[in-house]
Amino acid sequence: MIYRIRHQTIVHYDAPVQLARFNLRLRPAPWPGQWTSDYHLAVDPAPASIESRPGAWPVHVARIEIDSPLHRISIESSFRTGVQGGPPIEPQPDDPTVGAVAEAALAARDMGPAGPAHYLHASPRVPLVAEIGAWAGDLLVPHRSIVEAALELARRIRNEFAYVSGATDAATPVAEAFSARHGVCQDFAHVMVAALRWFGLPAAYVSGYLRTDPPPGMARLVGADAMHAWVMLWCGPTREWIGFDPTNGVIAGDGHLFVAMGRDYADVAPMDGLFVGGSGQNVQVMVDVMPEGEEA
Amino acid sequence: MTKTATPVMEAAGWADAYLARAPEGDLFAGASAEMAGHWRAMLDRLSAQAQGDPAMLAGNVERQAVDLGLAFRLTGDQQERPWPLSPIPLLIGAREWTHIEQGLVQRAQLLERVISDIYSTQSLVRDGKLPANVITGSPHHWRVMTGAPPPHGHFIHFYAADLARGPDGEWRVLADRVRTPVGVGYALENRLALSRATGDLLGALNARRLAPFLSDLRRGLAADCERSDPRIGLLSPGRFNQSYAEQAHLARYLGLLLVEGEDLIVSDGQLFVRTIQGLKRVDGLWRWMDSRFIDPLAFDAESRIGVPDLFDACVKGGLMLANWPGVGVIESRAMAAFLPGLARDLLGAELILPNIATWWCGQAAERAHVADAMDELVVGSAFDRDVAGLTGTRFLPGSAMDAGQRAALLEAMARRPMDYVGQEVVRLSTTPAIVDGQLTALPFTLRVFVARDELGQWRIMPGAFTRLAAHGDIRAALMGEGDLSADMCVVDARPAPADGLASAMAPAIRRVGGMLPAKAADNLYWLGRYIERTEMTARVIRAIVGGSIEADLGPAVGSPTMDRLMGQLALWGAISGTAGAVGPLCAQALGDGAQPGSVRALLAAVAGIGEGLRDRLAVDYWRLVRLPLPDFDGGVTETLLEASSRMIERISALSGLAAENMGRTEGWRFHDMGRRMERAINGCRLAMLFGGDRASADDLTVLLDLNDSQISYRNRYLAGPALAPVRDLVALEPQNPRSIVYQAQRLAEHVAALPTLHGDGMPEEPQRLAAMLAARLAPMTGDILSVADLADAESRLLELSDAIGQRYFLQRRKERSEGVSLLS
Repeated sequence: MIYRIRHQTIVHYDAPVQLARFNLRLRPAPWPGQWTSDYHLAVDPAPASIESRPGAWPVHVARIEIDSPLHRISIESSFRTGVQGGPPIEPQPDDPTVGAVAEAALAARDMGPAGPAHYLHASPRVPLVAEIGAWAGDLLVPHRSIVEAALELARRIRNEFAYVSGATDAATPVAEAFSARHGVCQDFAHVMVAALRWFGLPAAYVSGYLRTDPPPGMARLVGADAMHAWVMLWCGPTREWIGFDPTNGVIAGDGHLFVAMGRDYADVAPMDGLFVGGSGQNVQVMVDVMPEGEEA
Repeated sequence: MTKTATPVMEAAGWADAYLARAPEGDLFAGASAEMAGHWRAMLDRLSAQAQGDPAMLAGNVERQAVDLGLAFRLTGDQQERPWPLSPIPLLIGAREWTHIEQGLVQRAQLLERVISDIYSTQSLVRDGKLPANVITGSPHHWRVMTGAPPPHGHFIHFYAADLARGPDGEWRVLADRVRTPVGVGYALENRLALSRATGDLLGALNARRLAPFLSDLRRGLAADCERSDPRIGLLSPGRFNQSYAEQAHLARYLGLLLVEGEDLIVSDGQLFVRTIQGLKRVDGLWRWMDSRFIDPLAFDAESRIGVPDLFDACVKGGLMLANWPGVGVIESRAMAAFLPGLARDLLGAELILPNIATWWCGQAAERAHVADAMDELVVGSAFDRDVAGLTGTRFLPGSAMDAGQRAALLEAMARRPMDYVGQEVVRLSTTPAIVDGQLTALPFTLRVFVARDELGQWRIMPGAFTRLAAHGDIRAALMGEGDLSADMCVVDARPAPADGLASAMAPAIRRVGGMLPAKAADNLYWLGRYIERTEMTARVIRAIVGGSIEADLGPAVGSPTMDRLMGQLALWGAISGTAGAVGPLCAQALGDGAQPGSVRALLAAVAGIGEGLRDRLAVDYWRLVRLPLPDFDGGVTETLLEASSRMIERISALSGLAAENMGRTEGWRFHDMGRRMERAINGCRLAMLFGGDRASADDLTVLLDLNDSQISYRNRYLAGPALAPVRDLVALEPQNPRSIVYQAQRLAEHVAALPTLHGDGMPEEPQRLAAMLAARLAPMTGDILSVADLADAESRLLELSDAIGQRYFLQRRKERSEGVSLLS
């Protein structure tokens, strides 16, 4: 499948801000099974500099500096991306067990950006929360098959948590979203990451996109009107990373378009930074993810 | 032998009594014959000095510590605590010390090699010498630093090791510290306090001096900077940090610029400090801030205390940053388990100073050993995080666990074995200290400091921060509840040869001046303003209770002058309202910290601002600033009078110190400008209030009193106070150091003397406004000065103060871009 993605963000500031320095993490980082072309980043007003830099994780960072006073900024990221089709990923009889994956993760020597050892430990936004571990304890037992157990965990989150937009924000601690049993994709992904790590499994946080309109005959997925977040679980040296979407209770397929992966939200936040001055701000986001050939 | 009254005999009594009770392995009791002689000689002298009374000795040293302004906070403390310093230093002989030195040099070399590998080729992980999770499990590992080596090749400039000495006399390393060298400033100050309290004792013992180590450290930092006469800052997290006092002291001692994040800015990959002369390049930083917080754009986006793009300044701009970000990865207990093996692999040698034995549970065999031998071990968090099964602590002896605790721990270790280590139980030898007036053996640990010199070679400070544990776990923070600190002296058999190199190594002569960071200027200015405001508030209170007008402590009815005085206190926020009796109202204005304008609240503001200027204020000044409010009783006029008079005297003492002891730097100018500005603004207000066109005799008397001009007036005029002469004296007489004109002229002089950013000779806004104000007031006399003129002068002063703030101080408030989460 080939998609065209257009993602526009407009921020209005109540009072002008100055000396803005932002990190944008909107351009897809390379990921197996997905290619990206025709990437275009348009920032208005024009920045004093845009610098592209590799991130510490599978994440692409554009550093923006704007010197002139800003009342409003528009950021538009657009690109084509293709994902391998083929049969959807499903649990297999010969999948490794939870216990075997945990052991392999301890022995892993890969220190690269996607090395499992980086994703095994508490991270700034995902501490290890005992309550989450206890809640997932019946699923992530050592003898269970890893893919099957993780899929059941994703479904449990989908079933037990209410999707409530606006009840949480980017700074909501994972323990809080967990005890309230509600939130958005970011909260659900953090809960799932925390549960997996509690049992010594390498779990990462992924940001990306879902196709806006479902294929004929399929239900529209939740989270398609903005950027989406889901979880990558390292399933041992042969199956490697597999995506699980706890918001929708599914294994990520060819409608999940990868942008960035990190230890938690903070590593892949689409936009963060600093400016001088400032008061309130108002953010509008528009996302279009269209399969090529289905446009118009 | 019976005790006699002579001090020397008492001294023998101290040593002998101690030795009779000292536990096995005590540093003194187990000392060689030669070292025991040093110990005895020391105790003799100390005892003689204290006339045989240990409590007196402890008191002497405590007083020195207070005088030095030594203080600290434990986590959660709002107020600083007095520094607990034992008057008895530890003595270590040259031979034993050489062994420690060799061990630490080897260790520093090893740590440098390991860190360098972790952040470059990672061959240790690839070859299976170091498990990946020992690195990635550390919250101090920063993957973003991989492939970004320090421009001059040194990851570590400064290193501290916590050492334990077992009862068998063997030294072991408890912990390695490379993130911040907390303790080195305290070690220096302990030495200073001890040498002040004990006269020539340290010299007589041939104790090695600490100063050469610090100049080596300073030169080592400079050697890695790009420019030859570099500007180096000490990057502090700010005055609420636990070790801020230490940072300020070190910055002062080493001649480094004490800076916080908001003083600094990165532009085009270069680091600059904001000064009153504009941006000035910074060549290097000694950071006392965790890597996590140094740059919100490269590390933790939540950090409010860092410098945006400091990462770029390091990696691309050639900034010397000591220590390099990410070095903290080697501090973990998990890492300690691998250091003996890494020493063999990388150095081809055994560790001279071994670790305490450590087993990392991320490996199957080690995990099994820890589970089996738990009774003889301490189980700890491998990466100093909170972990399951060790609730509320980070290490617990197996023997102290009940069955339930042990089962919970084993369950947690089965799930996440990499989060745990087992360590041998450390037994500590003891050293003499004074507890409750008695010579007592206390277990101790040392924190020893290591730094690179000019040539990049490792130097060891011949002293240490010594912690004497009252109880509890010595593996925790720098100091715990009830602990004592002590000095440690390395003693030589013979005095060190006279330091003949002193002149050869003398630096180029410099005079006062240098750079004034914008934030320090801001603080100095407001320090001046608050001190002056405190004085004026105290003067108003004294005028009310001091009998310059007829008043008693009853309700102040019928006196418009008294109403006006009370009204002014209310306007300043010193009292909540003017209703009530005079005594309690004055008590509120003096002592109610909830009133923002009370003397107590103003003093707290002064102390708060002063704390942010610790590197710039003399110790005497700082001590006066921090003295508590004098006692008083709201029902007894005399005590209110006494307290307000005490405050005025104290502020006069501060003025005297500023006038006679402060260098005439730009910093002094800002401090003085603050006082002049506040005095002039208050002068205008009070002159309008008490010197209006219908002012009564009482009003004018109060005005002269608040202006401290009663005597001048009486000397000049035989009659009672009259409007025009009073106005002339308090507002316009250029010779009166409390007149408005006098303040305006000093302000104009100060701003004229400050550096200008204009290259074209045009005056800057503060210079223009100050000159205009002074010129406007100069030709006036008391008979033509109107209330409107006073109001005009006041508004001009406020405008000038704003202009000073705009021009010289930090105007920039950094905000994090929030709410742009863009997520569904």
